[in-house]
This record gives sequence, C-alpha cells and structure tokens, in this order.
Amino acid sequence: MNTKSRTEILAAAALALVLLVFMPALNAWAPENSFFYVSNFTINVWGKYLAYGILAISVDLLWGYTGLLSLGQALFFSLGGYMIGMHLMLMIGKLGQYKSDLPDFLVFLGHWFLPAFWRPFASFAFAALMVFLIPMLLAKVFGYLAFRSRIKGVYFSILTQALTYGASLMFFRNDMLMGGNNGFTDFKFLLGGDVRSAATQRVLYICTGIALLAVYFGCRWLTRTKFGLVQRAIRDSETRVLFSGYSAANYKLFVFVVAAGIAALGGALYVPQVGIINPSEMTPDKSLEAVVWVAVGGRGTLFGPILGAILVNALKSWATQAIPDMWLILLGSLFLVVVLFLPQGIISIPSKVKGLLNRRKKPSDPEGRVLRPNAPLS
Amino acid sequence: MHRLFFHLILFLNFASLFVQASPSASMVEKAVLLEDKTDEQISLLQSLEPDLELINLLTLWKEGGIFLFETTDHQKIALRLDGAKDADEKQAAFYLNGSFPKDTSGKPLRLLASDLNAAETDSDLRTAMKSILDLAGLSSPDKSARLQAVETLGMEQDPARLPALRSRRQKETDAQILRSISEAIALAELKSSEPETVSNACRTLGDLGSIRSQDVLKAIAKTTGTPARSAQDALRKIEQHLVYVNTWGTLFRGLSLGSVLLVAALGLAVTFGLMGIINMAHGEMIAIGAYTTYVVQCIFGPGLELSPFGFHLSFPSLQATGWFYDSYFLFAIPLSFLTAACAGIALERCVIRFLYRRPLESLLATWGVSLVLQQLFRLTFGANNVQVASPSWLSGHWTLNDVSFGWNRIFVIGFALIIVFCVFQLLSRTPLGLLIRAVMQNRSMAACMGVRTERVNLLTFGLGSGLAGLAGAFLSQIGNVGPSLGQSYIVDAFMTVVVGGVGSLFGTIYSAFGIGMADQSLQQILGNPVLGKILVLAGIILFLQWRPSGLFSTRSRSIDN
Amino acid sequence: MSQKLFQLTAEGVNKSFDGFHAIRDLNFHLEAGELRTVIGPNGAGKTTFLDLITGRTQPDSGKIEFEGVHDLGAMSEHEIYRLGIGRKFQTPTVYTDHTVAENLLLSLAGNRGVFASLFFRLDSTQRDKIDEILTRINLSSHRNRKAGTLAHGQKQWLEIGMLLAQDAKLLLVDEPAAGMTDEETVRTGELLLSLAGKHTIIVIEHDMLFVRQISTGRKVTVLHQGAVLCEGPVDSVQSNPKVIEVYLGRKHSR
Repeated sequence: MNTKSRTEILAAAALALVLLVFMPALNAWAPENSFFYVSNFTINVWGKYLAYGILAISVDLLWGYTGLLSLGQALFFSLGGYMIGMHLMLMIGKLGQYKSDLPDFLVFLGHWFLPAFWRPFASFAFAALMVFLIPMLLAKVFGYLAFRSRIKGVYFSILTQALTYGASLMFFRNDMLMGGNNGFTDFKFLLGGDVRSAATQRVLYICTGIALLAVYFGCRWLTRTKFGLVQRAIRDSETRVLFSGYSAANYKLFVFVVAAGIAALGGALYVPQVGIINPSEMTPDKSLEAVVWVAVGGRGTLFGPILGAILVNALKSWATQAIPDMWLILLGSLFLVVVLFLPQGIISIPSKVKGLLNRRKKPSDPEGRVLRPNAPLS
Repeated sequence: MHRLFFHLILFLNFASLFVQASPSASMVEKAVLLEDKTDEQISLLQSLEPDLELINLLTLWKEGGIFLFETTDHQKIALRLDGAKDADEKQAAFYLNGSFPKDTSGKPLRLLASDLNAAETDSDLRTAMKSILDLAGLSSPDKSARLQAVETLGMEQDPARLPALRSRRQKETDAQILRSISEAIALAELKSSEPETVSNACRTLGDLGSIRSQDVLKAIAKTTGTPARSAQDALRKIEQHLVYVNTWGTLFRGLSLGSVLLVAALGLAVTFGLMGIINMAHGEMIAIGAYTTYVVQCIFGPGLELSPFGFHLSFPSLQATGWFYDSYFLFAIPLSFLTAACAGIALERCVIRFLYRRPLESLLATWGVSLVLQQLFRLTFGANNVQVASPSWLSGHWTLNDVSFGWNRIFVIGFALIIVFCVFQLLSRTPLGLLIRAVMQNRSMAACMGVRTERVNLLTFGLGSGLAGLAGAFLSQIGNVGPSLGQSYIVDAFMTVVVGGVGSLFGTIYSAFGIGMADQSLQQILGNPVLGKILVLAGIILFLQWRPSGLFSTRSRSIDN
Repeated sequence: MSQKLFQLTAEGVNKSFDGFHAIRDLNFHLEAGELRTVIGPNGAGKTTFLDLITGRTQPDSGKIEFEGVHDLGAMSEHEIYRLGIGRKFQTPTVYTDHTVAENLLLSLAGNRGVFASLFFRLDSTQRDKIDEILTRINLSSHRNRKAGTLAHGQKQWLEIGMLLAQDAKLLLVDEPAAGMTDEETVRTGELLLSLAGKHTIIVIEHDMLFVRQISTGRKVTVLHQGAVLCEGPVDSVQSNPKVIEVYLGRKHSR
C-alpha cells in the first residue's frame, strides 16, 4: 500500500514537472524550429486536457469514491465556464461586430441596456467568485432534495441526467440572455492581456496545471481523512453507514457540492483556452464522456482519472482527424471494453500483471486471488 | 431553347367535339388564346356558368397545366398533356374538350411538357380565377372542397357573395358546412351599412363561437354604437369558446403525448422496471424500429440503396401504389418488433448478461452501445432525417367543433392501449409471464426451482426491446426519423418509469399520461414549450421528494433496499 | 405516572407491509442494564421489531420511546443511532473494503458531523480503545486485513466490536450465533454476558442452547404473529404450553 502510494506520488511529481515546467519553458524560450520547441497549439491542446483532468477528478470523487454516478458534472463544468465567459464577454468592449458596449448577442436581441445580473460580471473578482458560487449553490439545492429523499444509485444518475438536460434546454433559449444557441465566443481580453496571445495562453496553461495539482492533492488529503473512510463506506454499504450513526445524506451533499466546485473550476479554466462556451457542452452525453475518462484511467484512484482524461482526449484529437466517422464507434467500444474487461481501469494493469505472474508461481495460494470489492449496488 | 417542329395535319374530330359539347371547354380555350388581354379574359371567364369542367380547366390553367402549341401553319392551339410518360418522357396531348390531335402519320400526338410554353396567367387573372373557383367550389360534390370554398368566401367579406352563399345554405345538408356558411354570411354582413344587420351578424358570430372572425370583430368593437356593443358581446362569447377549444385541444394533445411516452417507456418499464437494467441504448432500440419502418416503406415504394462501410446493400422495390402501398405500415409493425427484439437479444447476450449485479456499470456499457449504434445509423442512413410518409389512412384529421384530432395521434392512443393490454395479458396470463415475474422477483430462488433464468432474462429483454421497436414504428409516423431519434425520448422515458414507480406497469401508465397532460397544460398556460418541459422536469424532482419510489412503489419486507 | 422509568417502551405498535400484518399491537418494556432475549418462530416479527426501533421502518400506529423522552418513530436511522442505540444485523454487515481497524474507527463514539470527520485525528485513548476491543473480539492479529476477507464468525465478532466501539446504551443483537461453531457460540455468549449491566441488550436468537446460556435467571420474551405471546424466565417460558404449541413444539428436540 505504502510503496504503491509512493510510486503514485513520484509519477505525479514527474508528470507535473514535465507539464508545468518543461513544456511552458520550451514553448517560451526554445527556438521555433528546434526539436525541443513546444508549439502554441500543443500548449493550447494540453491546457484543454488538463482542464478535462480537473473535470475527471470531480467525476471520480463522486463515482469512484462515493458511488454516486453523477451525469451533471458537465453542467457544473459549463456553468463555471459560463460565469467566466460572462466576464470575458464584457471585456470585449466596443470591439464586437456591433461596436457596442453590450455583448453582440444582446444587441442582436434588441437590448439597449445591460441586464442587471450582467453588470457585476465586469469585475473579474466577482466573476471568479460566481464560478464557484453558482454551481455549488445549484449542487447544494439539488443535492439536498435528492439525498434527503434517499435517491441513490441509478436513480440519482437518471435524475442528474434530467437536471442537465433541463438546464441545457434553458441555456438554448435566447431569453435566458446567456447567448442562446451560440453561447459566448470571440473573447478578446482577460485581466488586460490578449486572450489569444501565446503569452496569455501559456499563463492560462500554467494556471490550469497548478489548479489540477492543487485539486489532486486536495482530494488526496480529503480521501485520506476519516471523511474519506465514511465516503468509501457509503459507496460500499450505505445502509450500514446510517446504522453507524453517520448522516449519509450530509456526507453525500458535501462531496457533491465540492465536486461541483471542482468541475466548475475546470470549466472556468477551459473556456478562455478554447475561446467558446455554448449549451452543447452541457449535455448529459458530455458528462458520460467524462465518466469514460475516469473508467478508462481507473476509478477510485486520483491519478487514474487524470491519465484517462489525457489519453482519451489525445485519442479523440487523433481520431477525429484521421478517422472522423469511426470516432464515436471507437469511444463506445472503448467504454464497453473497459466496463466489461477492465473495471479498475488501465491504472490497475500493472498490479493485475503482477498478480497474474504471482499466481503462476504459486497457483494454489488463496491470498493471490484478486479481491473484488462489493459492487456499489443501488 | 430546344424547339420541335411538327409537320402535321390537324384533323378536327367533329364527332367528339359535338358529343362533349360543353360550352366551358371552348370558352376557356378562347380565353386561353386571348393571351395577354387580361381584361377580356376575365370578363369572358366571369360570364360563364360554373360547372365541373370549368373548375377542372381553370385549376389546370392556374397550375400551368395548359400549354400553347403552334402548328406548322402558325396557328396557336391550347393543349393539355395527360397519361403515363413514355421512354422519352413524352405524354399524350389533348384538346381542352377531350379530343386529341394527330400528327402527320395519323398517330396520336405525343409531346414533351418542357418543350411547350404554358399558357401564362398574371396576378389579376389568377385572382379572378380564384374567385370563380371559390364560387364554383360551393357546389363541388367533394365535402372538403366545399368547406374550403365556404371558408375562403367568408374571409373575403364581400357582400356580393351573399346570394350565392344563401342559395347554398338552402341546399346544404352537412352540419359542419352549414355552420361555416352561416359564419361566412355573417362575416359578409358585417360590411353592411345598416347597424341593425351588423349587430345581428355580430350576435350570430358570437353564438357560433367563430374564432376566425375575432380580428374583424375587434375592429368593430373599437367603434361606437350598437354594433360595437354587439361585437364586444360576441368577442366575449368567442373567448369562452376559445377556452373550451383550447382545453379540449390540450387534453387531446396531452393524451396523445402521454401515449407517445407510454409507448416509448413501456419497453423500458420491462427492461428497467422488471429486470432492473439501465439500458441507455433503449432510445436506439426505438430508432431501430423507426428505421425498420423506413426500410419497409422503401421496399414497398421506390426501393432503397444503402452503402455502409463500402458494402453495397440493395433492397428490391415492389413498386406498390394505392392501398397496397398504404398497407406497408401493417407489415412494418411486426418487423419493427422483430428487428428490435433481435438487436436486444444480441445486446443481452454480448453485454448485459455480465452486468446483472452491477447496475451502474450496465448504464455505462449500454451508453457505449448507444454511441456505437447512433454512429452506425449515421453511416448507414446518413446524418440527416429520412422521410417516412404516413399511409393515407393515418394522415389528415377529424375536426369536431373547432377542435382538431389528428388521425395519427388518435391511432397512437389506441395503439398504446392495445399494446399495454397485450403486455398485461402476456405477463399475467401466460406461462412465460409467470416465469418472467418469478425470475424478476427472485432470480436465485427461481433458478433453484429449475427455471432457466438465463433464457427468461433473454426473452424478457427481447420483449422490452421489441416494445421499443414498436414505439419506433409509431414515432416514425408523428415525428422525424434520424440517428438521434432515440436521444430525444430517452430522458422522458426514464422519467416516466421512475415517476411511475420502478417495477409497476400500472404506475408507468399513470405517470405517462400524467406527465403528458402536465407538459401540454403547462405549454398551453405558459405559451412556451421549452419552459413547460423544464417545469415538468423540476416538478418531477419535487414529486420524488414526496414519493421517492414513484407513484406505485413495490416496497416490501425485503431487506435489500 | 410514578412507575419505574424504562429504557425502552413500545406501546400499541402496529406495522403492516402490503397487507401483511407484521407487528400487531405490540407492547414491550425494557429496563436499563437488562439483557433480554427475544425468541419466536419465523415470521413472528422479530427483525421487523428491530427495524422499527432503529428507524429503518416507521410504525403505522403506536409509540416507541427511548428513555421516556425520544419518540423513535419520528427519527431517522442516524439520529436514533446517535441516541446510543446500536444494531448488529442478522447477516454480518461490516465495511468489506475497509480494514478491521478502520471498521472500528468508523464506529467509535464521537461527533459524526461532516466537518468533524474532515479534521478528525485519532488520539491515544481512542487508539487504546480500539486495541482493547480488538483483543476482546479476538481479532488483534487481523487489524489491517480487509474485513471482507474475514471468516463468517469473525465478521460477527467484528460487528459486535463495532457496537462496543460505539459505546451504545442499547445493543440490538440479531442472531449473533448464526453460522458459528459451538466453541465460537459459547465465546459469543460470554462476551454478551460480560456486557450486560453496563449496556442494555436485546438479543434475538433461535438457538435454544445459546438462549439458555445467556438468559439463565433473566427474562425471555416470546413473539408470535407480531405480538408478545408470553414473557418470563426461560424455564417457565419453555414449559408454557402456548409456547410449546407455536414454537418449542417444533424445536424442543434440540
């Protein structure tokens, strides 16, 4: 157990060093035609992957550690993105197509004044606060209702799916005044810097990396406290937890709200890097895609989801270019294969191989049996 | 432009000319040949007594179906083309009176429509033609044509039409048309200069609850005097009538949406409710049913060529027409059930049987399957929606007191009731049903009693998927069929089952109609479909606060929660 | 109302499931420190009675009170637990994916709030307590083993240990001897007897040998069809003709 966690820490540190120090440094200072140069495009793509990594951890914190398969994480992710997007929209100023102080879509909808709820978003600090506040508040209200009435297992999944679906319907509407179908795009400035410039993108990339690292260590701490014990106890046997005197509902609510905040942070870092946010990011399918990353990487670990997010998205980047027609089939099959044959994800491959080798050495050893934890039943 | 020159002798077929001696045909021909002189054409046409021949010819003319043909001796004649096209796309030519010209070799003349100039009509002429046609339509033997003519005349509000309308009222026997005629007369009378007549007309319109006269009445209500008061009274009455119509309309739409939900959720009530499997690919099972219907339709019609992954798949064409073509749907229903059931059985064998004890994993795995299937649909049938034409006996609607009931919707309601009945019979009256219920209640116990649970699982899942396929066949009649068809129903279907109470078919029925009604009523009240849907979703979440296990919970003493 | 204060009182309790009347007009009184054994044939409502006390289900009518002040019918499971009522289930339910020590740690008395558990640190008295319990339930050598890998009897003991860690005032023990060897059964009986007096205990059991072991000189309650059939010392109960008819008539051969 101890050596395993040490290997994980070492791997995380090595990865952090490469991603956070070497890559941005090579992007900034290596000559452009040298072998070591890291292009702006690469930085941008990896920034995206890391933001997805944050989303993946939020999914895993719920699914892998607490047994709650939330299909609402894409909603919190895009809500975070929308909040920072509102600030970015106001920062465009008169550079929009209509040369107005108002965001273009508001002009297009015939508005003359900025709606009241838009105004405070001119302040970055306020927007940054809202990034966490709004999704966590929504999670708190929804979670309170859902957990209070003991909705769990697949019912929870179905209900979060409905929540996400309902929210996306709402954001598709123009009179929500959140950009409707097209959402927000054409961002210009963030904290005075040009959003599209290589320097800003690099800073955003580094911020995303640091955020991911912070989230990783934060969750690592969380899952190792007594809270983490209760969390996993809820996953394995919620009824028993109640008879041990813990209010499972409160614990689940807390994790749900924290996970919503983490997902929102990911979204807020994602949007300035990709330069667009619209309601299609909010669908239950996007949540499920994040679940694939976690499943592929290995749920119930913290390193697995990050690995999964990077690998699956790298695969996606390649496949949507090379074999666009086959991508969805590939994604679906990947999911099937992982669920059926590798439920603990690729991170479990080394120990599986080791187990297999051990078993071959002493075939009758009962301790060599791979123990499967109780499946998190309803 | 390509022109044909014919050397032909025109034989005048005297016999046929005199036998079919209808003045209309020759007068219309005369009018056609007047070409640009619109005023003369109009007065000529208006002088004619309307009869069937005139209606047919004018309609044809309006639609560009009468052609001008120049003979070798530069004489212009009016022709129409008819009959089947031959290999060169040519059709037989006829004079307007029905006789046919012959070419030099004495054979009937055949011409190509694109080689000819259609007799032109300008807007004045077309207006005149339309009013002639409308008047003539009053005496049309076809009921719907008559109704349409009356309604058009009513909207014209031309007092000059009054005599024609009144005389029709004497002869008319159909109640719906009589009501329309009264409405049209009253509408025309509103233009009268006598306040008394106008007031009476207002009263009539109010009593009739005439929805389409609202705008006119509002204009009158703004004036002063007795007519204004009558108009206000009438508007109030119409408003009441409108509420009545909307209520019944909403009720009907709610009922029909409810049956759509029921049909879509019934399969899920079996796989999810009874078996406890979260099949996210249920929507794609629906899509399989819908695409099967599409393929069957294509086989009955023009045939179908598909080329998924470079393979070439060709479906033969039966070239069916008429009632035979319309019957395609009757073949499509069982086929949809079978294809979806087979797909379901394959899914059960390959994926789900490994996941019976892991519901969350079955959710994820079937979602993967759903992605793959969606993409397969896209690659096979294209990313766009395919056209599924309703058979004629499912199109059209039935209007009762301004509330219109679409035949396809009525059919869906009826169909939903029938399959629910059949499923109930299957589960409660047949040996298979007994086995299914036994296995679903306690798998291991049933296995101990010698039930082959594997096979029962397989059949139950096949049944659920087959029901989804049936749903697809019917949804293809009322909505679009495309790769993401299933996605638009899956959330609603799950909600329906959850609200109804998992494991209770009765609950599913109640909740389907409840959600359908709530959705349509909210839409009606809020005037906004999306907002209505969001409210329904919010309502469901709140409902589950009150009844966490749905309407009809199957809670028992079992320790397993 | 100058009667003796009971630790647990149930008066006129009724509960039915889908028409099946599991508990009918049940009256039950338990003094503090008592060790009461409840016996009864299958379907007598024993487990349902425990479910009602622990808040797993709510009574249709009647009142269940703890220490004369807490109405258990209106409270949720974890609230009831926090009053000091612990339960050992019929089938052993331990946290299979946690180690033995972690199982006990999760059951230790103390604040069970979310934030308290976030900043929880195991102090030395708690550490000692866990060690002491581990010795008592004979699992010291297995403290870092995952509970799911324990043998059946060991799981039963661990579950009793979890009740001890909780410092429960009232222990509800459902068939503790099920699936144990004779030797283990005797040890379990001794364990329970050593707890009596300090804790109030309700034991539900089928095994009459075991019942005799733990209830000599104590009261036994016989449940039948959801109501109390008779109550008294184990010998008089065993010789009661009504009891023999419904229950012992089939069991006295043991």
